[in-house]
Amino acid sequence: MALLKMEEWYDLARETNWTPSYASEEELYPETMSEDFGIPLNVWETFDEPYKVSYRDYVRAQRDKDVAAYSVKAALARAEFFKNASPHWKALLALHFSAVCWAEFHSASCFGRMTRFGRAPGMRNMATFGTLDEIRHGQIQIYFAYEFLKHDAVFDWCHKSSKTENWIIISLRHALDDIAHTRDGTTAGVMLNMGLEQSFTNLQFVALSADAAKCGDHSFATMLQSIQTDEARHAQIGEPLVRILCENGRKKEAQQMVDISFWRMWKQFSALSGIGMDYYTPLEHRENSLKEFMEEWVIGQFGRTVEAMGLALPWYWDYLKHDIATFHHAQQIGVYVYRATQWWRPIASVSPAEREWLEEKYPGWNDTFGKCWDVVTENIRNGHYDKTVPAPPPLICNMCHLEVSGVAGGEWQPVDYHVDLDGRRYHFCCEPCKWIFELEPARYKGHRSIIDRAFDGTIGPELDDFLNYMGQSEPERGVCGYDYQWIDGYDTPVAAE
Amino acid sequence: MAVNVQGMKTWSKLAKNKRRPSEYEIVTTNLQTRNRHRDQAYELSPAPDLAMNEWYRKNVFDSPLQHEDWEEFRDPDQLIYRVYTRTQDVQESYVDGLLDDHNEIDHDAGLKPEWLDVLEHLYTPRRYLQTALQMGAAYLLQIVPASTLTAAAGFQEGDEFRWLQRIAYRTRELQTAHPERGFAIKERERWEKHEALQGLRELMELMLATYDWGEAFTALNLVAKPAADETMRELGSTARHYDDHLLAALVDNQMRDCDRSRRWSTALVEFCAGHGDNKSVIQGWIDKWMPLAEKAIITYCAALPESEGVADTAIERLHAYHRSLSISA
Repeated sequence: MALLKMEEWYDLARETNWTPSYASEEELYPETMSEDFGIPLNVWETFDEPYKVSYRDYVRAQRDKDVAAYSVKAALARAEFFKNASPHWKALLALHFSAVCWAEFHSASCFGRMTRFGRAPGMRNMATFGTLDEIRHGQIQIYFAYEFLKHDAVFDWCHKSSKTENWIIISLRHALDDIAHTRDGTTAGVMLNMGLEQSFTNLQFVALSADAAKCGDHSFATMLQSIQTDEARHAQIGEPLVRILCENGRKKEAQQMVDISFWRMWKQFSALSGIGMDYYTPLEHRENSLKEFMEEWVIGQFGRTVEAMGLALPWYWDYLKHDIATFHHAQQIGVYVYRATQWWRPIASVSPAEREWLEEKYPGWNDTFGKCWDVVTENIRNGHYDKTVPAPPPLICNMCHLEVSGVAGGEWQPVDYHVDLDGRRYHFCCEPCKWIFELEPARYKGHRSIIDRAFDGTIGPELDDFLNYMGQSEPERGVCGYDYQWIDGYDTPVAAE
Repeated sequence: MAVNVQGMKTWSKLAKNKRRPSEYEIVTTNLQTRNRHRDQAYELSPAPDLAMNEWYRKNVFDSPLQHEDWEEFRDPDQLIYRVYTRTQDVQESYVDGLLDDHNEIDHDAGLKPEWLDVLEHLYTPRRYLQTALQMGAAYLLQIVPASTLTAAAGFQEGDEFRWLQRIAYRTRELQTAHPERGFAIKERERWEKHEALQGLRELMELMLATYDWGEAFTALNLVAKPAADETMRELGSTARHYDDHLLAALVDNQMRDCDRSRRWSTALVEFCAGHGDNKSVIQGWIDKWMPLAEKAIITYCAALPESEGVADTAIERLHAYHRSLSISA
């Protein structure tokens, strides 16, 4: 006789639903927060989390993980690495940390939604770990980011960005608020776990971690892997939920949840991780492209997961296969040319050697996106730096809030996706973004994009007004991370100004 | 590479503070997005078009509890995740040791029948109570207007789940030692029907159905949870008289977590008490919820053996807690 094994008592800890009588079901589970999809409670109670852990084992394992991640030795190595890191890598770190610290911390609230308003006791318990995990992920990443702050003020945005009206932050907030923070407990569970954690965190954490290790940033790599082990555990909330929905006549709803959330997250990862992987990772450390990662991890692996659950692949799957080779290239151009609207120092990453890599990974790149870079390159070579910044503002998608773009060069086939509603025209970058809007226009129609705000008078007419509105004082406006010297690789030297 | 790169001493948002920020402040402040626009807490259609924006406006921005900058709240323990897991791992190791030692000496076999009655009716059904407390904390953390509050409520939720699982563990052990009894079988029925538990269940259900964030905080952290915890304390103290030293020790350990909840709750009251009508708002809510809490304590404690004066003691402790808050005259 000694201690009981977890499996001997575990089930009792998830037999915790009772029949209330002092407050009604409606009072305890109001519609906005809770949705049972007409599925009886005893069915929700069959929720069986594939990965089981006790609180006791959780705190032990998590403590051990943090001891490794926070070691003084690792911190010293990190500081040393940062001092010698290239502008490429610094841009990547700044982009990563400014987007993920608050986003992850904020997800704790989404798990809180699942715990409080979900119907399955097993999910309640797993989501409790989810809440704790997300507090961890917010805190550990911002701790890392803070170490860089003394070297580089752009890292202030890892803390500051959450409440700013910067267009990239609006885009990310819009997507996360849509899938995770404004849905009922069950829908949020499916959308966050299937649309983000099962599908894309691998991309951000495993892929980025591999790149980090190659660059010699071992503590960043270890931290990312450590986070991914948590994600892999709590992401498993989604699957049993989808199964319950499918087995009880709610396949259509489950399909829609996956289709919406996956697309919303794809657009975010395409821009953030796509630029990170294909442009900001120093060339000598790049192996796989975003497209290759997507093909293996997402189109392959996640696609199989979706089908194994009895769902169809999202209807836009073929379009996605095209998008993984195009969208982020267009966004990279936008991010570089409108660089003052970024808080970090964007990298062009189109030196001759880098173009060669892009052409190899994305055959035809030179004839398409490369054409835009030809113009930027020529302007810089001729000393016309002002001509590398477009005067007109970009068109922003009213769903993903990223730039409406297409494939440049010979394949330029602009398509105008729009919806007219209540006297207002909404623009979209693609059919899936438009489709999401049309499913629930009331959710989205009152929101104004950054460009809408520029035109309706919310933001003043001058460029300064625009940048100040986004929370960017003069030193917080992005400049070319290499001060245009990436041009040195071209045969003509930079013209004197 | 002539780009001029300069560093900063600390986050710009913490730079105005005189003191060097602690790790807690560095990693816990300003990490939430929803407390920005009254009609548009979430980056979608403003209220009333989006129900969740309406919910947030009504229950947070328009709550009677007001403060111009909730982000300034600080947990007095300055608890961060990596300290939380470290601390709780130590506590859980201690609890493992307790359970192991008592299992070794066949502790449960020696418990008196009249005490086993008490455990069956008043202890093991408390895993449902812990569930209600877990859910209550989960609501708070998703609605509160600052990330420092989310962290505090998040760790509290973890604590409630901790004790939910420990009660489940003990339930199985007691069932193994006393298979003829209702352990692991009758808890739900007792939670729903046993007279002694109905006051607590009523308090919990009504607390859970409270959505204004200020009132939800008051109902849970200033009244319902402390009331539930006081009944646990009394159960633990009675356990000593029936040679259930294991339960007594477990309760002592649970009270460490409860004390932490009270510390941050006290700090939150102190943080906002000086603003507007907050003092009377909080006092009003406490007055509203206390009759239910007193009833819950009285009905529970009445079922304890040798219960004379026990409920009064527990209620007095709850009053003392309220007197310690900065709303007290």
